[in-house]
Amino acid sequence: MSDPRPGVPERRTDVGARPAPSRPSEGSRPPARSLSHWLDQRTGYSAWVSLVVDQPISGGARWWYVFGAILLFLLGTEFVTGALLAAYYAPSATTAWTSTVFIQDTLTLGWFIRGLHSFGSSGLLIVSFIHLFQVLIFGAYRAPREMNWWVGLAIFGLLFAFALTGYGLPWDESGFWAKQIELRIVGTVPLIGPTLQVLLQGGRSLGHYTLTHLFALHALVLPAVVGFLVLGHIALVRRHGVTPRWSQDETKLAQLTQSYWPHQAIRDASACAVVFVLLSLLVIRTQGARLDGPADPQAIFQARPEWYSLPLFELRAAFEGALELVATVVIPAIFALFLAALPWLDRARGRSPSQRLPILFGAVCGFVGLGVLGYLPYRRDQNDAAYQHFRAEVNQRSTLARRLARQGVPPEGGLAVYRNDREFRTRDLWTEQCGQCHSFTGHGGTEGPDLKDYNSRAWIERFLRNPDDPLHMGGAKFQKGMRPVEGTADEFKGLTEWLYAETGATDVDTALIERSLPLFSEKDCDSCHERDGVSADNGPNLKARGTLPYLVDFISDPADDRFFGRRNKMPRFAGKLTPDQIGDLALFVLSESKK
Amino acid sequence: MTSGLFFFCALQAQQTARQIDEVRISGHHRCTLMADADGEARRRLLKVLTGGVVSMIGALGALPGVRFLLSPLRAASADSGVPSIRVASRFEVSPNKPLRVTVFGELKDAWMRLERVKLGNAWLVQSPEGRVRAFSAACPHLGCAIDWDEGAQRFDCPCHKSGFAMDGRCLFGPAPRALDELDVDVTDDSVKIRYQRFRPAVKDKEPLG
Repeated sequence: MSDPRPGVPERRTDVGARPAPSRPSEGSRPPARSLSHWLDQRTGYSAWVSLVVDQPISGGARWWYVFGAILLFLLGTEFVTGALLAAYYAPSATTAWTSTVFIQDTLTLGWFIRGLHSFGSSGLLIVSFIHLFQVLIFGAYRAPREMNWWVGLAIFGLLFAFALTGYGLPWDESGFWAKQIELRIVGTVPLIGPTLQVLLQGGRSLGHYTLTHLFALHALVLPAVVGFLVLGHIALVRRHGVTPRWSQDETKLAQLTQSYWPHQAIRDASACAVVFVLLSLLVIRTQGARLDGPADPQAIFQARPEWYSLPLFELRAAFEGALELVATVVIPAIFALFLAALPWLDRARGRSPSQRLPILFGAVCGFVGLGVLGYLPYRRDQNDAAYQHFRAEVNQRSTLARRLARQGVPPEGGLAVYRNDREFRTRDLWTEQCGQCHSFTGHGGTEGPDLKDYNSRAWIERFLRNPDDPLHMGGAKFQKGMRPVEGTADEFKGLTEWLYAETGATDVDTALIERSLPLFSEKDCDSCHERDGVSADNGPNLKARGTLPYLVDFISDPADDRFFGRRNKMPRFAGKLTPDQIGDLALFVLSESKK
Repeated sequence: MTSGLFFFCALQAQQTARQIDEVRISGHHRCTLMADADGEARRRLLKVLTGGVVSMIGALGALPGVRFLLSPLRAASADSGVPSIRVASRFEVSPNKPLRVTVFGELKDAWMRLERVKLGNAWLVQSPEGRVRAFSAACPHLGCAIDWDEGAQRFDCPCHKSGFAMDGRCLFGPAPRALDELDVDVTDDSVKIRYQRFRPAVKDKEPLG
């Protein structure tokens, strides 16, 4: 590469300053040299390398030219981390979330790779904005660089497509709802909307094909198209050169011109290094990108888009009904058309910003407007206690789901992860096996007793006063059930206290119980009930009533002689459920009744 | 810590670049010969610096990427407890004829946990002393399912024609070892086995994680 080339501005002769290096003859080149020579003769690669490294930087290397290189670097980072993630990600409605959780929480440094990919995409959009704004200020969109401007705009748009398709891939709560809403917005576009929506989501509703489509776009189509456009963009920069500051005249620029390598290269490399370090620190600090719990299409979800879509989100809120299209299609289209038409709209004679004030004013207004539109919903959510509470719940679900996923997720994937949770399973079991007859609502009206506050003094006393209350045995329609107890308020208090003590409660009045025990036979309770925990009678034996072992025995076999005997109407669960399940249900009854 | 070091290096590189710029600007007014000499040294330093920065980004970026890609190697630790799974009743195992059983159990595949899936097959035989023995039905050569040949009274591999005696010994063929014996628990009336897979085509029986 040390050969001087015509057209390279800062070329120097090797003769003069130093003793001329002895040029080895063709036959006796050192091995390394000969390999590159051999390769060059067959591929001509040095011409391509030279195209980049010898690129003249008109007016000399500058730090404000680094943004293009940063974008290229970030795109490369996205490509590499994306390929790594694709090696472990499985796009389908049942596997997307679980495979992402596996990447995030189980694979070595998966959280770091995913974090780089996720934050890197935001970085790409931010630096694109800077790059675009810089082009506006420098007037780099003007002739003869119009093509480059349009290619750049196309890449800019496609970067958003990258972000939008990528955000849905984890199929977590936020990603799912963002796609659900965006695809419905697509569906509102006149004429082509409904068809386009079905095509994009791969069916009438979101499902497996939505994910395969998102993935194909995100990981195959977009990289190919953007890669092609980026090559074109770079080639056009090479053709027209960088756009130097407007204030310098041609001769001065030519005088200061340097080659890309190494003068601009060191600046680009350093800037990329800084970006890489900042990105890594951000990922380490946040422990990777956010990942919500699995998507639940039936849940109530206060969906918010990613930060880059917030301006559109806010804009949409300002238009109602059919006018929504103004926000979702018309205004963005006008914005895009304005940018695309800029080379024609700009009628100024020179590139100096002072000559292009209206254009720059419009651009600044546009960008400030976007910023404000994006900030407004953000601030509103920050000050909205209900929304913050909702977010906290989402985060709690995420923590739980990700913890449960470590035990392995059932093949149904996603939401099935909650089945790993014992409490969740028990709740399911309750709904399935017990919830038809029993409730915890405190309203009753079903076939069995309502169990809200089952072990409280109030529940017990109400039962004694009226066993056939709809809240108690009323729904069960027992023939010749228990007779209501009659007595004074003090007598009720005494009997209740005794039964309350049987539940294992410790805050009891033992003296009152001692005094009230004779009531057990006085009120004829003993004609049907026993209280030794062993004997059978017409009604349930009341020893330890409401304790965990009592409930386990009861749920196992309510037709046992100790309980309802022949008069029993409740199903027997021993044999139907495992002892563990019955134990879980008993615990569930106790904890749920206290809520 | 590495990133801190890296950050420091990047900062140094920038500062050097700035100093070099200053040299360049003052160098403009010197005679061409001197400027060239300065320029040469400067260019070489810049090239080394750029190369250094680029390789450092590459190395720091590649490290986590490679470790991420190597994750499956780490996960291959052998399972500490192979569960004992009931496959047959004791009376089904006769001394005359091996019994083919299917082992159902829990399978973990990456993130997924499958309950009651077919883990594999095994052959139960009764030794002359009356002990129940179990052999994995996977041929120790390349894992084809071996079958019992009633006429020849031996186990045959249909793929590469290895033959095994009822006690698992390899009689002929390319199999490098005897049939892989599995741990058996006989309690009360049931036969339970600990189903495992072993590395194929090697002389020693080596459990796969």
